[in-house]
Amino acid sequence: MLKSLRQSGTLIGFAVIVAVFTLQLPDTFLTARNLINISQQLSMLAVVAATMTIVMVMTDFDLSVGSMASLAGIVAAVVFAAGYPVWMGLGAALLVGLAGGLFNGFLVSVIGILPFVATLGTLTVFSGAAFVISGGKTIYGRDIPKGFADFARGGVPLDGLGLAGLKLPYLSLTAVGVMLVTWVLLEHTTFGRRLYAIGGNREAALLAGLRVTRLRMIAFGLTGLGAAGAGLMYAARVASANPTQGSGLMLDAIAAVFLGMTMTRMGEPRVGATLVGVLLLGVLDNGLTQLKVDSYVREILVGAIVIVAVSIAALGKRR
Amino acid sequence: MQSLTFHDLSKAYAGVPALGGVSLTLTPGRVHAVMGENGAGKSTLIKLIAGVVRADRGWVEKDGVRLPLAAPADAMAAGFRVIHQELNIVPQVSVAENILLGHPAPRRAGVLMDWPALHTRARAALHELGADHIDTRALAGHLGRGDRMLMRIATALVAGGEACLYVLDEPTAALTPAESALLFAVIGRLKARGAAILYVSHRMDEVMRLCDDITVLRDGRHVSTTPAGVTTKDAVIRAMTGRAVSDTYPPRQTPLGEVVIRAEALSSPRLSGIDFTLRAGEILGLTGLGEAGQRDVLRLFLGLERATSGRLVVHGARAPRSPAAAWRAGVALIPGERRAEGLMLQMSVRANAVLPHLSGWAARPQTEVRQAAELTTRVGLKSTGPDQPVGQLSGGNQQKVVFARALMGNPNLLLLEDPTRGVDVGARAEIYGLIRAASARGCAVLLASTDLPELTGLCDRIMLLHAGRQVDILGAVSPADLLARIYETEN
Repeated sequence: MLKSLRQSGTLIGFAVIVAVFTLQLPDTFLTARNLINISQQLSMLAVVAATMTIVMVMTDFDLSVGSMASLAGIVAAVVFAAGYPVWMGLGAALLVGLAGGLFNGFLVSVIGILPFVATLGTLTVFSGAAFVISGGKTIYGRDIPKGFADFARGGVPLDGLGLAGLKLPYLSLTAVGVMLVTWVLLEHTTFGRRLYAIGGNREAALLAGLRVTRLRMIAFGLTGLGAAGAGLMYAARVASANPTQGSGLMLDAIAAVFLGMTMTRMGEPRVGATLVGVLLLGVLDNGLTQLKVDSYVREILVGAIVIVAVSIAALGKRR
Repeated sequence: MQSLTFHDLSKAYAGVPALGGVSLTLTPGRVHAVMGENGAGKSTLIKLIAGVVRADRGWVEKDGVRLPLAAPADAMAAGFRVIHQELNIVPQVSVAENILLGHPAPRRAGVLMDWPALHTRARAALHELGADHIDTRALAGHLGRGDRMLMRIATALVAGGEACLYVLDEPTAALTPAESALLFAVIGRLKARGAAILYVSHRMDEVMRLCDDITVLRDGRHVSTTPAGVTTKDAVIRAMTGRAVSDTYPPRQTPLGEVVIRAEALSSPRLSGIDFTLRAGEILGLTGLGEAGQRDVLRLFLGLERATSGRLVVHGARAPRSPAAAWRAGVALIPGERRAEGLMLQMSVRANAVLPHLSGWAARPQTEVRQAAELTTRVGLKSTGPDQPVGQLSGGNQQKVVFARALMGNPNLLLLEDPTRGVDVGARAEIYGLIRAASARGCAVLLASTDLPELTGLCDRIMLLHAGRQVDILGAVSPADLLARIYETEN
């Protein structure tokens, strides 16, 4: 009983938040337009948080995702500005993401540096690289191809559902797609099972014949890839790229995974639970903005909620 | 202090008794040895005396007064000073700080560290030990193992209050003969001051020379207490190993096969002179005094210890280069530290059992459940089902999960490291049955164990190691003879 209360605490909190906003904002909050809006706002966070879950399953984490997102946006924009087609810009950015992630994995699993230190180092490196490549300037306007920016504005029309004029944004669909792929990867492949085993006991996993070094590298590579994807989504949405625009993603992504971890049976990260964490943070952000709450107060609230949720989970575990 | 008696000390872990009703009387000015095989209950006894672990039953009586013993502070207040086998030191700080750790540091004006006073006190403690060569300003981590032990003993000496009992757990394990001599002199001085000393050691000669009384424990029970003067080495060994062994060990019923493993004049960073053959179905034991290289021999077959010279042929191929390659080649491992090296305790029986045998991309839960159910029946696992977290099982059942994992691929080489450590008697017999069954199927087995009856009961031959060197390979032997041979490797 106590245990189920511990597991459902975050979900109850989420319900309370939704209820409060619904009462406070009766006309604007629980509307199709606003919900679609929320889904678009949190699509980048959803992608980063889902792929962050992959490394956190092994009890590792990656601090460099935010600056990787910025770097990926810059790389794509620079490739666009040089006159190459859209697909090459996207490919270059995703490749940089994968390479950066694999490098994190190399530092952590081959060299053996703690993930905190390794990814703190690469956070700074990626961020610096974004400034160097862009010359410190925001790349926008004619340099950003129309097709790229249009993707973020476009969506599947929902006229058929009686929601005339509304579109389900491609960005939201992308986030759902990434979530699904990550879910399948972690829950329904041997790769995912092995990652959970490494998280359960790395030494035992090694002695049971798992290729721990390789698996950790691949996992970090996927997290880097996800970060780069989110950076592209961000750049498309604002039709510009600047070297700091992804920086807010890292803390929110880790917070979302931690919120999710309070809901699972053994406190392990799960993609589905991470999604609830993402929704909670996204809804909170949207509602507080509509209530015109100061953004600094918003930060205090988000931090406090994460601490309270994780504390309740920790106390519940101790019994 | 006139008298000190521990009455009826008992402790069980997860229902498995580690110590059952042991009583012990210590006399001031006498050194009392406690001897026994691994798992006899020595470590538990020390933990209870130190207050680190709380006894299920039993009490302490000092000079006719009953004392509480529920926490380390109680042991400290009673005047017990325990020097544990694992050297708990803080390597990053100085020797002086280590020695005075846990004491109010000398201060100036109430807040500033009084460094000269700190070093003076630490030096005085080391001087009392005759260990003036240790610089109190050196980092503890830079000391050799022998000096670390001296430092730990100094820590016990410097402790305030009246000390009436010193407990030394394998104090000479890491010491050179000269350092040991220093330690014996210190013990002599503590004796002369009227302290009682409880001395736990595997080293028979040392115990016979140093100690006044010898208590032998076996399977958590008290076997005998005799003055050292009226007993002999052989009598002590007999008392230590006198377990009835005949019916616990299933006998060999199949003939040995071809030679499948051949180690020729093999050396590695930690091993030398390893030279043996192993036949299909044969069980070769590995033993020695303490950690003598048994573990490293097993690691040769996992690619975790690499030969620097000599040859190792495993089923006609070279030795695997990694644990992953080893499992693929049909090598299976039962690690010694079940919790640290064997299991993912939060994960299910199924996930633990099938882990090395996952193949392809898609996870197949139905197949896994079926395989896990089949295997757990085969190993006689008692659980609520394949989805029960392993951490909820008893030690014996946890070990059966590890066996299920190892046996699933029908291995051709089974590496076992203390396979019955922390396992109750019933599960032990079942595990011996599993080992014998694997051997009967033609699986070669390397069994590293500190349990002598287990070795003599199961193994066709037993390799004796000392400091990483292969000393001898013995055929059929009794536990007492084996123990005697192990003690001989010291000389």
